[in-house]
Parts: sequence; C-alpha cells; structure tokens
Amino acid sequence: MQLRPLFLAALAGDGAAYRRFLDIIGERLRGHLRHMLARAGRREPSEVEDVLQEVLLALHLSRHTYDPASPVTAWAHAIARYKLVDHLRRSGRHVGHLPLDEEAFGLADRPVAAAAEARLDLDRAMASLPERTRGLIDRVRLQGASIAEAAVAAGMSENAAKVAIHRGLQTMAKFLSRSGSKPG
Amino acid sequence: MQTDQLISLMVASQRPVDTARLSRATWLAALCALAVTAGLVLITLGPRHDLGRAWLSMPVLAKMLLGAGVAAIALPLFQRSLRPGQEPARQLPWVLAPILLVVGWAALTLAQTPAEQWTTLIFGHYWRACLVAVPLYAMVPFLVLLVLARRGAAVDGPLTGACAGLASAGLAIVAYSLHCPDDTAPFLATWYMIGIALVTSAGALVFPRFLRW
Repeated sequence: MQLRPLFLAALAGDGAAYRRFLDIIGERLRGHLRHMLARAGRREPSEVEDVLQEVLLALHLSRHTYDPASPVTAWAHAIARYKLVDHLRRSGRHVGHLPLDEEAFGLADRPVAAAAEARLDLDRAMASLPERTRGLIDRVRLQGASIAEAAVAAGMSENAAKVAIHRGLQTMAKFLSRSGSKPG
Repeated sequence: MQTDQLISLMVASQRPVDTARLSRATWLAALCALAVTAGLVLITLGPRHDLGRAWLSMPVLAKMLLGAGVAAIALPLFQRSLRPGQEPARQLPWVLAPILLVVGWAALTLAQTPAEQWTTLIFGHYWRACLVAVPLYAMVPFLVLLVLARRGAAVDGPLTGACAGLASAGLAIVAYSLHCPDDTAPFLATWYMIGIALVTSAGALVFPRFLRW
C-alpha cells in the first residue's frame, strides 16, 4: 500500500484517507516498536501500545513538518525513533546503542495485528484535561460520535469542538513527554 | 484509551495542513530579525562615517556577502532540521565555502604584506568591539529562530542549534557591517570567524534544552 498519496490526501483535509493512513502506519509502527523494545529487553505488549500511541500523537501534531517531496516512511520513522529513544530515557533504562537501523523498519512491513491494551499513560494524560474537553473526547472515542454530533451535545460550534479536541491532544502529548522519571 | 480511539480523535479534529508554512516562516523570521538587528546597529553604534561612499566598496561588500552567504546556506538547513527524516547534516559543510573564501583572501593579503604589518592588518582598530558586537547582535535572530524551532520537530537539537547559530551570526555580520570601520581581510577572517564560531557553539549548546517535544 502506497502511504504517500494517502498522507498527501490527508494533509489536504481528506478524513477517510487520514484514517486509512493512520491504520496502516499504526500497524507497521506497532511491529517496528515491538521489535525495538524487545531488543531493549522490554517485552510487555502494553508498553508497545503506549509508545505507539505516543508516536501516533507526535505524527499527528507534527504533520506540518512533513516535506511533501520526501518519503513519508522516512518522516514517520524518524519521529518514531525520537519518541522511542525519549521513552527509554524517561523510563530510566540505559539507552546505550540501541540499533535503530533502517532495515529493522523494513522488516516491519509485515503488519502486526493484535491491539493490546495500552497501560494507563494516555488515560492519565487525559485526566489533566479540562472537563468540557474530556466530555467531548469521550463522546467521540467511546460513543463513536462524529465531531458535529459531539459539538451539538456539548453546546459548541463544530469548529470550537475541533479546536478543543486538538488542544486536548496537544496537552496530552506534552503530558506524556514530561511524565516518567527524569532523564539521566 | 485504545489506539483505535486515539486515531478516531485525531481524524475527528483533523484539518488541512500547510506543510510550506515552516519554510516561509523561516525566511520571514530571518528578514525581520535582520531588519531589527540592522536598526539596532544604526541606533546604538551608528553607521560608519563614510557609509555613503563605502557601502559599494570591496570590504563592506565582502562582509555583507560573507554574512549573507553563511545565513543563506544555514537557514534552509535549519528549516530542514525541523523536519524529521531529512538529513541536513550532510550539507552542513557547504557553510565552509564563504568562510574559506574569506580565509583564502586573508591569507593572500598577508602573503603580499611584510610581516611587521600583519598585526595591524589582523587587529585593526576595533577588534574588541567586533568580538563583542557580532555575538551580541546575533541575539536577535538567535531568539527569533529559537521560538521558531519550537514549532518544528527537531530530532537533532545540537544540529538545529548550530544551524540557527550560523544563520544568526551571518545576519548579525550583515547588520554590523553597516558600522564596522575595519576593512582588512585578515581582520574579517579572524574576528568575524571567532564571532561565527561563538554563536554557532552557543546554538548547539542552548537549543537542545528548549527543543524537547
């Protein structure tokens, strides 16, 4: 599956293309991260899911840093590597020379299914959000409401609802990159 | 939260994204910073007394070209260093081109002059002023680029910082050339280069602290 056309359509505002892109890259990254975390001696599936979520959030919030002329996998891979190293450093294990080579990413082309439960990182991050935003987010993620429905239920405009969720995601990303033990 | 749910949230709050904004912002920021820095030089130090005549002279042009050249090479690399997956480090040595030109010119000048005049050529009148002024005026673009860098996704903080430092020093040199009365190539090759090195190191050291994301 060609990811670049999907992502370019997503950048232009195509929601369906964006979902497909995230589903595909998410599966690939899950395999990649599982592989990398196992090399670092960590085999808990929930930890893989935590890092995956952090990487997906980072991809989402850094879409404007993608150069349309370059391969989207190189961009996503670099972000995943940055977040993985950051995660290992934060969780207090020696990073050493984690062999984050390109071939390892190629291997991950075989998608790895299985949506293991994440640990509680993202839920903890969500707890730091204002209540209104949390309600909005729950309506979308738990009840599968569209942004328009969620906005009506929360008594705000669709645009305001989008902005609120976007800010919520930003706050959660910041929370994740700060949490955990101090670097060192 | 499950990963699927997270994806739903991201899709729901998604909007069209402008991927060119970062590069536009970089050039705009650099131009504004240059204008402010030049204004500061003119207000605080004043133009060199013969600027009207000298601005088209070889030494002043050389200073401006050195500064503009370094900045013009460093800025695109800075901008690319904010985009994960790009590897601008490989192109970093190009910054040496304008620097080596000036150093070569300085070496030629020294070779054609008797050694007893070298001190005068190198130290000029105001080497201390130059040594302080370039890093000091570089603070303006430095801070502007630091703010901008936080909007990107730097995966190599020291590299982003070094590029920003080079660009800041380059812009400061362009601005300072409106004042600097020392016109010899050896002076340029010594004090301006030290200024560039100082600001570049400062960038590589300071930026990573502010760029975690």
